[in-house]
Amino acid sequence: MNGDVLLALTIGFPPLAGLLCYALNNKTARRLIVALTAVVLIGSSILLYQGGGFAYEPAPIFETVVLVLDLALLAYFLYAGYKNRSWLVIGLAALQLVPVAYFEFGLGGMAVEPMIVVNDLSLVMSLIISIVGSLIVVYALSYMDEHEHHLHIEQSKQPRFFFFMLLLLGAMHGLVFSNSLYWVYFFWEVTTLCSYELIRHDGTEIAIKNSLTALWMNLLGGVGFVAAIYIGYYFMGSLSIEELTQYSAAPISLLLFATLAFAAFTKSAQFPFNKWLQGAMVAPTPVSALLHSSTMVNAGIFLILRFAPAFRGTSLSYAVVLIGAFTFLITAVLALNERVSKGILAYSTIGNLGLIILCAGINTPLGYAAALTLLIFHSVSKGLLFLCAGVVENRVHTRLIEDWEGLLAKLPTTTIIMVIGMLSMFLPPFGMLIGKWAAIDAISSSPSMGSLLIIMLVLVGSAATTLYYAKWLGHLLVLPQSGKKLGEESLPLPYSISMFSFLSLGIILGAGVSMVLGALVIPAMPAGYINSLTGSLFEVSTGFGSFITYPFWIGAIAIFMIGTYIAKRKGGVVKPPYVSGENVSDNPEAFKTTADTQVPIQVSSLFMDNEFSSTRVLSYGVIAGTLLVMIMFLTVVL
Amino acid sequence: MLSPIIGGILMGIDRKLTARMQSRMGPPLMQPFYDAIKLWGKEPFIASSLQPVLAFGYLGFSVAAFALLAFGQDMLLMIFTMAIADLCLIVAAFNSKSPYSNIGARRELIGMMSYEPVMLLAAISIFFVTGSFMIDSIYVINQPLLTFLPLTFLALIPVLIIDMKKSPFDVSGSGHAHQELVRGIYTEFSGYTLALVELGHWTKVALLLGFASLFWAQNLIIGTVLAFALFFVVLVIDNSYPRLDWKTMIKTTWIVGFLLIIANIAGLIARMVILS
Repeated sequence: MNGDVLLALTIGFPPLAGLLCYALNNKTARRLIVALTAVVLIGSSILLYQGGGFAYEPAPIFETVVLVLDLALLAYFLYAGYKNRSWLVIGLAALQLVPVAYFEFGLGGMAVEPMIVVNDLSLVMSLIISIVGSLIVVYALSYMDEHEHHLHIEQSKQPRFFFFMLLLLGAMHGLVFSNSLYWVYFFWEVTTLCSYELIRHDGTEIAIKNSLTALWMNLLGGVGFVAAIYIGYYFMGSLSIEELTQYSAAPISLLLFATLAFAAFTKSAQFPFNKWLQGAMVAPTPVSALLHSSTMVNAGIFLILRFAPAFRGTSLSYAVVLIGAFTFLITAVLALNERVSKGILAYSTIGNLGLIILCAGINTPLGYAAALTLLIFHSVSKGLLFLCAGVVENRVHTRLIEDWEGLLAKLPTTTIIMVIGMLSMFLPPFGMLIGKWAAIDAISSSPSMGSLLIIMLVLVGSAATTLYYAKWLGHLLVLPQSGKKLGEESLPLPYSISMFSFLSLGIILGAGVSMVLGALVIPAMPAGYINSLTGSLFEVSTGFGSFITYPFWIGAIAIFMIGTYIAKRKGGVVKPPYVSGENVSDNPEAFKTTADTQVPIQVSSLFMDNEFSSTRVLSYGVIAGTLLVMIMFLTVVL
Repeated sequence: MLSPIIGGILMGIDRKLTARMQSRMGPPLMQPFYDAIKLWGKEPFIASSLQPVLAFGYLGFSVAAFALLAFGQDMLLMIFTMAIADLCLIVAAFNSKSPYSNIGARRELIGMMSYEPVMLLAAISIFFVTGSFMIDSIYVINQPLLTFLPLTFLALIPVLIIDMKKSPFDVSGSGHAHQELVRGIYTEFSGYTLALVELGHWTKVALLLGFASLFWAQNLIIGTVLAFALFFVVLVIDNSYPRLDWKTMIKTTWIVGFLLIIANIAGLIARMVILS
């Protein structure tokens, strides 16, 4: 198939399918349409990937369409602000509507030649969006039925829900393929719209409040984008990303990159803009999964990765590193005291995005490759974790990790998948850890004095990461003392399809890290970055160290199998825990206290509320983040 | 594969030396092995069906980390592998509803959080000297590592104290009789699972001392002497300080460890600037 047809399929098909879902409002039709969209999206993105990069000039009519839709979108944001009495939203929407209207009608706009450029970076992004994104939308088919069943919703709001989910997938494709800064901006605003509508989907008070937070923070990023468009128009005479990234690092082009980095920070929820992603967890779980793994937050990462080579070695690059590293550390600390499962996952997302941004900011070939590796593996692992969290939440009706104790016995399938997902986040030899390892190598080898500080932030941050995942893991794997067999668990078809696809994707990508590096990471490196993260059959090498892969996998599996063999061979009677000899004879999970009263044994999780207060850390973090962003602009301007 | 044996002998020496410091005779050198063999033959009691698998995981990954050291592989990978071993032990201790082993496991987690960044930073300081994260490359430089990184070497003391579960940082499960958590993280292990965990512990001690011996990698004997010196210092500290709580542990380890290593790196950079 031709590249243009495939482009039209990736960008145009999902929104149209969404509209059809909206118009038909029929469960069977919706299932068919979503399944078809998934197949079309995954197929066309793989075909696009095989075809390689090209440039394309769409018919002029599309420029008018985008303009009209953009103005309508901004007008809708104004209306949303007015309806919810949010002056912040109104102000920020007006700050975009007026300049954009003036730009188009007063200044006559600016043509870009060509409008669409498909390069290797955008192809990798497209693969992530379509594969991970589609699987999540498939998952949502079952989830939303259960969700509405639990909330006793009479009039199903699913048509609307799926419209925005699919629209988001289309908009993300538009964003990564556009070469015109103005078009990128338009798709950027469409993703803002989708996140706003999806977060407020349940219509509860807290959902509406959090959706407005998400809206104004993302609109703030949009204002940064508009500023970038004006700078590009007045001072650099171009809005073509291809041309803008060719500019040498003059102060004015640095300012343009800084405004775009600012926009990226809002979208990727870096400090001080972390609040909206944290609040987004009130939405149904598929929304969180989609926002956190493959879309939305990745838009910010994409923007930074796209422009990073242009500000290599400048003060802006250091500022980006600092903000990423700071976010990584502070989210890891905050996650220690978080009790809500999705909250922990959200902090983990923000932190990992910080790590990716840090790597991109280091801007050496190794740093860039580490950023791409982390991006790919994070999408899969985080998507998987959110899907499992959603299933558990719908089954046990609680989001608190302390109440998830002993889940292995209740929901064995989901728990085992979730445990694998967690291990893949922070243990070798999974891809995320290889990314983190490459990141440490990249920071250590980057020629700057500040790298010691960055290393410290990363090391402490990753130690805290290990702690919060490990304690969660410990909770999940508690087995009942009675020695009962594991329960049975049945999953509806869409759940199984998406979760097992994710699981096999995670395992295949994890086992074939060298292949991932060769097929996705190395081609997507920008021109002039001599690749240094290479994978061979047995190891991944950075040039400074090497990470053995297959021997490690074999060793790990052998250890597990020998352990199982010894356990089988020696066996053993399950004995109740030691409680100073005060066990209750017929109940292993209780002990005797004064006057032989029986008290159930309760073991709580590790939180450090006495050591530090999360709210205080959060507010200091926001203040420090704001200062860092201001410093970023100051270093660029001065 | 020999690493648990080396570790076992080290533990025997530990018990002997500790006994002498406390004016006792102490058990024979091979006592740890007798203990382990006896434990292995005991009637099997387990806390959960997952526990033995994880107990073996602790041993297995410790041996794997030792293998990475012995074959001159990547330092960071070695430290991460050690972390998997620790994690196996921790999850195994979390695995039953035992209050004592749960609190022990939490403290072990905090212990891990205390020493892991210091270990990693030590590896990075070695990187600044050799230009590589491979352990192989330490053997290639013509001067011993200790002459470049004396302070980094000292920063290994708190790491070793935590990992050997020695006073003052033996919060997760002490060998001394001043334990308020019964046996802390080890409470729910018995018989062969305890034997596996003991073997894993020995291996880890051997691993860390092996890492310390890299600071004089040019000469195996001096390297061994150096590692023993470190071992002896830890034992002296163990016998002269009462235990402290975990907050002091994390603060001391981070402040002392980070400051020493950073001072060392700063010194290296200063020397480079002066020389050029």
